[in-house]
Amino acid sequence: MSRSQRLGIAFSAFIAFAVGVITTLSLLLGGRPELYADFAGAPVFARLMSLPAAIMVRLVAITAAVTIVIGISNLLYVHMGRVVRGAFFSIVMIASFALTIWWYWSKQGDTSLLAAVQVPIESALAALLFLSMVQGGARVLAKRADIWGALFVTVLVVVLLGSLPIESLAPVRAWSDWLMEIPVSAGARAILLGIALGTVVTGVRVLLGQDRSYRG
Amino acid sequence: MDDSTLQVYVILFVMITVVLVYSARYFLARRARRLSQGRAPGFRRLSGWLGEAIEAGRPLHLSFGSAGIDRENAAVAAAEAELFYHIIKAAGSGDVAPVISTSSSATVPLCQDTIRRAWDGEDRRARAQWFPGGARSMAFAAGLTATMGVEEPSAHILAGSFGPELALILDSADRQGQGSFAVSDQLEGQAIAFAMADEVLIGEQLFSAAAWLSHESTARADASVQDIWRGLLIALMAVLVLINVAGQLGIASWSLVVVAALALAFIGVVIVRRR
Repeated sequence: MSRSQRLGIAFSAFIAFAVGVITTLSLLLGGRPELYADFAGAPVFARLMSLPAAIMVRLVAITAAVTIVIGISNLLYVHMGRVVRGAFFSIVMIASFALTIWWYWSKQGDTSLLAAVQVPIESALAALLFLSMVQGGARVLAKRADIWGALFVTVLVVVLLGSLPIESLAPVRAWSDWLMEIPVSAGARAILLGIALGTVVTGVRVLLGQDRSYRG
Repeated sequence: MDDSTLQVYVILFVMITVVLVYSARYFLARRARRLSQGRAPGFRRLSGWLGEAIEAGRPLHLSFGSAGIDRENAAVAAAEAELFYHIIKAAGSGDVAPVISTSSSATVPLCQDTIRRAWDGEDRRARAQWFPGGARSMAFAAGLTATMGVEEPSAHILAGSFGPELALILDSADRQGQGSFAVSDQLEGQAIAFAMADEVLIGEQLFSAAAWLSHESTARADASVQDIWRGLLIALMAVLVLINVAGQLGIASWSLVVVAALALAFIGVVIVRRR
């Protein structure tokens, strides 16, 4: 790696670090005059502190809006390449893309094509999802022939039976409610707490400019 | 607890995490050791899939799902980019470049960047693929399953943000005899991954997965900071539970609480040793 490349990496890491720290401090300390109660100009200072975060959040929103162009360009590029190789579905995709653009432009912003095609297809896929999930649930023991697979299937059966509107299944419903309120809720919170901790550690790594993206 | 106090605690938490990250990197850099892949959860079949991809000239498919660098789950996207980098590096001697998919348009540059860094061969530009997510990500799942037929990947590494649509993707992979590894930051996706994927990681393993594959001590250091916080959190919760139980049973039960605390500590040590 040449000297100029190393300098470039160090510079981009520094920019990331500076912007990250300033934005984090601005988010944590800005807009809260009560944090500087003893200071005379607390409201003005708190407003100034919140300014960098507000600017960065707006910049992110604008950049995110622009990235949709990147996404569409990528979609067209990938499918154009497949059209050359004679992929039928890619031809359909590009034709649909052109038709939708033409429809929207010629009908002055009419989105009925989206409502007539996209929504029913997504609904049909959602219905198909139910079948896939049932099939997946039935295959759990084949994939995980251990105590955790057996426990998963047992809980699944109890919760499904408990959700049936049959009077004679009231004891099962009580078990189902208990499962959902205590162990399932505790497990879900444990997973979410773990994800939150992981998010903080990864966030700090990015904040310190240590992420691979800044390392050239 | 009022907002200002909470804010101070958050600042302290972030600062302590920064100190821990630097400290762990300093100490672990001296004794960098790669974790044995044989012990890594969820990676038992990965080397088989990589070998199959290389021998059969088929790509690997890696997916971020809806994790986006412009969303609240940006950290998930950053962590998975690191994991994908190591997986692609491991598959580096193959003929066909891996495919990385996403339903977040902002993540497309991250996909391209990951391939550019990890893959030395040609044909890299069209390997990052964006599928519009739609309201319920069903369009993403439909696009992905269609791509499976065209690209014929040897296996799917689905690590990121997935909801119930993961069932469609895993079902399609299973029917086509393609291997699958899945982990999600959404609870619905995580449950489906557990039930339907060949290999699965759970919860915070999403963020430490790269440490299992990496030769770099920094990845291991970051994972160990996560372990420290998790251990402290578990200890804190156990102490609060024991104090609560002691308060309800009366002062005579303190000896029972001490025995329970020792038992909990013993279980914790056994779990840590086994890992």
